[in-house]
Amino acid sequence: MRRLWRWLIPLAVLPVLALLAYGFRVDPRDIPSPLIGRPAPAFGLTTFEGTPLSLAAHRGKVVVLNFWASWCQPACYEEAPVLERNWREYRDRGVVVVGVDIQDRREAAEKFVREFGLTFPNAQDLTGAVSVDYGVYGVPETFFLDRQGRIRVKHVGAVTDAVFRANVDRLLAEPGSP
Amino acid sequence: MTVDFGYGMTLVALVLAIYGAAAAAVGARAGRPALVESAQHAALGVFVLITACFALLTYAFLTFDFSVRYVATNTNLGTPFYYRITGVWGALEGSIILWSWMLGLYTLILILRHRDSARELYPWALATMLGILAFFLLVMTIAAPPFQRQVPVAADGRGLNPLLEDTGMITHPVALYLGFTGFTVPFAFAMAALITGRVGDTWLVLTRRWTIVAWYFLSLGLLIGGWWSYHVLGWGGYWAWDPVENAAFMPWLTATAFLHSVMIQERRRMLKLWNIVLVILTFGLTLFGTFLTRSGVIASVHAFTQGSIGALFLGFLALVMLTALGLVAWRWEALRSQGELDSVVSRESAFLLNNVLLIAAAFTVFFGTVFPLLSEAVRGVKVSVGAPFFNQVNVPLFLSLIFLMGVGPLIAWRRASLENLKRNFLWPVVLGVAAAAAAFVLGVRSALAVLTLATTVFVGTTIGVDFVRATRARLRVGEALIPAVGGLLRRHNRRYGGFVVHLGILLIALGVTGSHAWSVQTEATLRRGETAELAGYRFRFDDLTAVEESNHFKVVGAFTVSNGRVLDVLRPAKKFYPQEQSPIAYVDYRLGLKEDVYLVLGDFARDGTQATIKLQVNRLVSWIWIGGVVLTLGALLAILPERRTA
Amino acid sequence: MNRRTKFIAGGAVIVAVLAYMIYAGVTQSAVYFVTPAELRATAVPGKAYRLGGMVVPGSLKWEARALDLSFTLSDGTATVPVRHKGTPPDLFAEGRGAVVEGSWTADGYFKAGLIMAKHSEEYKAPHDGTQAGYQELIKTLRGDGR
Repeated sequence: MRRLWRWLIPLAVLPVLALLAYGFRVDPRDIPSPLIGRPAPAFGLTTFEGTPLSLAAHRGKVVVLNFWASWCQPACYEEAPVLERNWREYRDRGVVVVGVDIQDRREAAEKFVREFGLTFPNAQDLTGAVSVDYGVYGVPETFFLDRQGRIRVKHVGAVTDAVFRANVDRLLAEPGSP
Repeated sequence: MTVDFGYGMTLVALVLAIYGAAAAAVGARAGRPALVESAQHAALGVFVLITACFALLTYAFLTFDFSVRYVATNTNLGTPFYYRITGVWGALEGSIILWSWMLGLYTLILILRHRDSARELYPWALATMLGILAFFLLVMTIAAPPFQRQVPVAADGRGLNPLLEDTGMITHPVALYLGFTGFTVPFAFAMAALITGRVGDTWLVLTRRWTIVAWYFLSLGLLIGGWWSYHVLGWGGYWAWDPVENAAFMPWLTATAFLHSVMIQERRRMLKLWNIVLVILTFGLTLFGTFLTRSGVIASVHAFTQGSIGALFLGFLALVMLTALGLVAWRWEALRSQGELDSVVSRESAFLLNNVLLIAAAFTVFFGTVFPLLSEAVRGVKVSVGAPFFNQVNVPLFLSLIFLMGVGPLIAWRRASLENLKRNFLWPVVLGVAAAAAAFVLGVRSALAVLTLATTVFVGTTIGVDFVRATRARLRVGEALIPAVGGLLRRHNRRYGGFVVHLGILLIALGVTGSHAWSVQTEATLRRGETAELAGYRFRFDDLTAVEESNHFKVVGAFTVSNGRVLDVLRPAKKFYPQEQSPIAYVDYRLGLKEDVYLVLGDFARDGTQATIKLQVNRLVSWIWIGGVVLTLGALLAILPERRTA
Repeated sequence: MNRRTKFIAGGAVIVAVLAYMIYAGVTQSAVYFVTPAELRATAVPGKAYRLGGMVVPGSLKWEARALDLSFTLSDGTATVPVRHKGTPPDLFAEGRGAVVEGSWTADGYFKAGLIMAKHSEEYKAPHDGTQAGYQELIKTLRGDGR
């Protein structure tokens, strides 16, 4: 009995370690979005090339809506190539990536788009109205919208290949809009 | 080129460290000194390589080598020379290099000091050190590589975090890391003791000084951190119970407990198990602290990088704690006490109580820090506890600890007689009570302030009584006053070093209490020429100007401070850095022994005719820094080699 | 009572007191994190909350002379009017994320005692993009300063 009892000393740290490991599952900066499951707020912006950009035009597709800014280094710089790569891979399968640049200077933002060779539609949210509608707390934040135009996932921080694929594949596997 | 070379050196260092750890362990087990010697060469090689990495990175900073990603993200062409050097360890990757370099340095010192003196324990301690070093090198190669290519090469960098453009920033991390890494050495010897089964006093005696050294640096780091917070962050405080501060404070508490309980083991052969667990805990908490600040698991003002580094640290923490505590369980029989407590009223119990209270404080800090995590895991709600929680729970603990500081060093070992108590504590108690009464009569109504004052006077008197008594004894045998005092300090440097540290703590306690109980603040918006008043001071807004600096520009206000006569012109400012999306406040203040006048520029009209300022009169804060200096001097005195035959 | 019992009793007392202090501390100083929508749904006047959301463009009013700051926080579904006595912190502006600490009042607004300016290396609250405007400021305020 006494021999067993002493092994409780090392075992005592296990709950603490488990708690810390649990910490990886939750992001303290992640403000839970009340928008999950709701229809994505509509918006109409103009891309850097001057063409109109609205959500309605992409109804029926899986939309990856990414909020970024040129000063958000390094997270936005890390995810830009990831978004571009996956956009090229998935664009023929009913997926669209939409970038919304917030709180930025136009020249800096255009330079960002040019340097990363971004080909998916990108627009500047001049008034900040779109980011308020989506409750964007900082950049980068990414919303994954299903084919019915509902917000399904909010991702805080840089998007990785794994995050992009997992969410998009899941939404693609769901039955489309009637 | 730089990147390949640096990364290559890191890899070689990693391989060497792993080899060294294995060689030392095998050499110790098989009793082959040649292998241990080879491990020593490996350790030297590792140190040289890390030094070269560090030098290379510094060179990259100085020459604006933006092909290195770390350089590009932490400096830009406008960064002044001085901050390009301190910028090297301004962020995660560089601080890991600094950390590894210090660990390498400590390993070398360990080799030089203990190669011949501790045959049995030394090889295992060396193996542990190199194993831990290998972990940090692993972090440097896979999770946070400082040498990583920036493609395409940036034309200009992003710039150093403006908050780090401060003298405090060169010293704060250096001292803090020297403290953190310093605890690796006692841990390594504790592991050696557990592995070899020689859990007697040898490892303790070998590591006692090491622990004081680490404690000294950690204290210094905490104090400089407080000073930085006070004069840079501009909220008028020095300690916010932020997770990052807590992370450094917890090992400080457990290490302080260890420094005290060591004395009981030396004297009474008790608490062997307790001591070894304290050393393991302290080391574990330094890892936990790094994990906390680097994993992003808990939100903090100093939010740092997320990524694989958190998982890596957690894994290592788990490995270290489970192995070390597993060894403790395995050596359970050998760790049982020989002595026993004789009486509740004795020095042993005073020290024991001191340990219990310190651990309790460490536990509450830990609990408060992980509370958001705990509540989310258990109840699914995001709840946090802030400074009020920490203050409320810790103030009684710290007051009791300060009281024990007076009791512990003077009460008799084993069993204190009434006579002993009277002889040592009559005057201190009388003076303490008198001080409390005097404060009350003079109009102090804060219970906390009265209690702290009474306790402080009590403890201060005990130290005085003891010192005077010991000096008198020396004077009686015919020594002159100065040599008597000098000899006392030198001969019993550990004891009197400890007393000086206690004095420092008393001053800090007074400063903390004073600033909490009596500081006042207000805010005001002034037009040019208008005046605001606070605590007998008048502040007149004179002027607002803009100045361009190499990497930012700042808007500076000029405020004349007077209290009947003109005292000073304070110039708080707001700095605008192109790479930052918001301005950084630059505080201006006038320090004083009684009170500091502290001014922060809040907002201003664009035409410069109106400014909003935050005014603070912070009482007794300077005593925290003075106490800090006293404390570190005491620790230095205690570190000096003991000279029993002077 | 022998020594052993005395020490065990002493230890038990210390543990009990500590547990009580922690319990009391937590219940008195717990701050709940909520979004505007959650606050609207569950607000209890007087309870301490930490409210996070975006400052709605056009809602920010700052009366420098009176030190009155008022604005509206939104999370996309609900909005909450917030009032604060004091200067807006450096990181604070319209269209940005903000976290405020305070309590819900019976008068239908959130009284913030503290507006948090979080400093983060990676994940940043947005920029107001007015750096260009600072050049003008330099011109109007140019002087020698210090």
